[in-house]
Amino acid sequence: MEDSPSHDELIEWFTAVALRRDRRAFEALFHHFAPKIKRYLLRQGAPEHHAEELAQETMVQIWRKAHQYDPAKAVPGAWVYRVARNLRIDRLRRQRFYEVDLDQVAEQADETQDHDRATDQIDGEQIRARVEELPPEQREVVNLAYFEGLSQSEIGVRLDLPLGTVKSRLRLAFGKLRKALGEEV
Amino acid sequence: MSIRHHPDDATLVAYGAGSISEGFSLLLAAHLEHCPRCRGRVVETEMLGGSLLETLEDAPLSGGGFDAVWARVCADEEPAAPPSPPPSQPRADGLPAVLAAHLPGGLEGIRWRTLAPGIKQHVLRDVDCGNGTIRLLSIAPGTTIPQHGHGGSELTLVLKGSFMDQIGRFQAGDVADVDVGIHHQPVADTSEPCICLIATDERLRFSDSLSRMLQPFFGI
Repeated sequence: MEDSPSHDELIEWFTAVALRRDRRAFEALFHHFAPKIKRYLLRQGAPEHHAEELAQETMVQIWRKAHQYDPAKAVPGAWVYRVARNLRIDRLRRQRFYEVDLDQVAEQADETQDHDRATDQIDGEQIRARVEELPPEQREVVNLAYFEGLSQSEIGVRLDLPLGTVKSRLRLAFGKLRKALGEEV
Repeated sequence: MSIRHHPDDATLVAYGAGSISEGFSLLLAAHLEHCPRCRGRVVETEMLGGSLLETLEDAPLSGGGFDAVWARVCADEEPAAPPSPPPSQPRADGLPAVLAAHLPGGLEGIRWRTLAPGIKQHVLRDVDCGNGTIRLLSIAPGTTIPQHGHGGSELTLVLKGSFMDQIGRFQAGDVADVDVGIHHQPVADTSEPCICLIATDERLRFSDSLSRMLQPFFGI
């Protein structure tokens, strides 16, 4: 497959799907995201056929929800990730995941002083570069949390580490990401 | 509501990763409703998730992948007008909306069970917490919860009133995020009962024998 699409291309495709129900843009999104979503689901323990089916289901949901996507408030990859994660918890873990409307929230947050602006002008590539730079031991706990769905206690058991160490590695990794976002940590 | 105590960043990362129990997600969502700071953090944990997704090696879909999806979206009804955003106006009683769904009568309508003098509880049994639990505790003014440590993690969200422990003073909206090895002994320190939502992922460990005797009553 060709190179990864740029941030701007992704936004263009999303917009075309949301506003014009554009088949070609949706197909481009599919080719970029569906194989990654399928890998995500395989890592989370879904059997092959189920991962395939849920990756398709995720793409169907992305089509249906595309009108909710607002490029001013979320990076495309983060939005796709949220849809895939929620479907994974619902279908693989068969649990509920309680959420609040984070998008709405960003607006309210603008009015507060204690505000952490995250998404303005943020480009997924910067974060990805920062993820690649994480020390291996931090990257490992991050991957176990995000891809294997392990709780912090379970990560501790898997790696034979005290819970406090697991937490501090997650905190450090997240702190580096936040720095990449231009936040004061 | 001025919130002074927040969940640990590691806890928010676990929330964004979707690697926490239903009970923890309920408690955290209840905090997020009132906490712009943590909502911003959660947005960031999802950006991290999106970037991690990009690092994954493709797992190719079988041949008909896109056609199958296209056939499904074409079979959809013309999408109805975007649903109106869910009402997230704060309720008059300050009860987080995600929690109100589990408490049809609000805080006033809870059928408490007395555990010990000054301590009542109500377990949310329809929420999946793995080996842990999620419960509401009502602690009468001046009452102390027996000192306990934790086998795993414990999150406490104050809904009403306040308590003090070795870490500080916790008021409505605040979250105490404690884990293994932390021994704490909260005491309700205002004139009204302190009502908290407490979620655990493991059973608690009480420090002294009297409290251990109480443990079966707590059921924790």
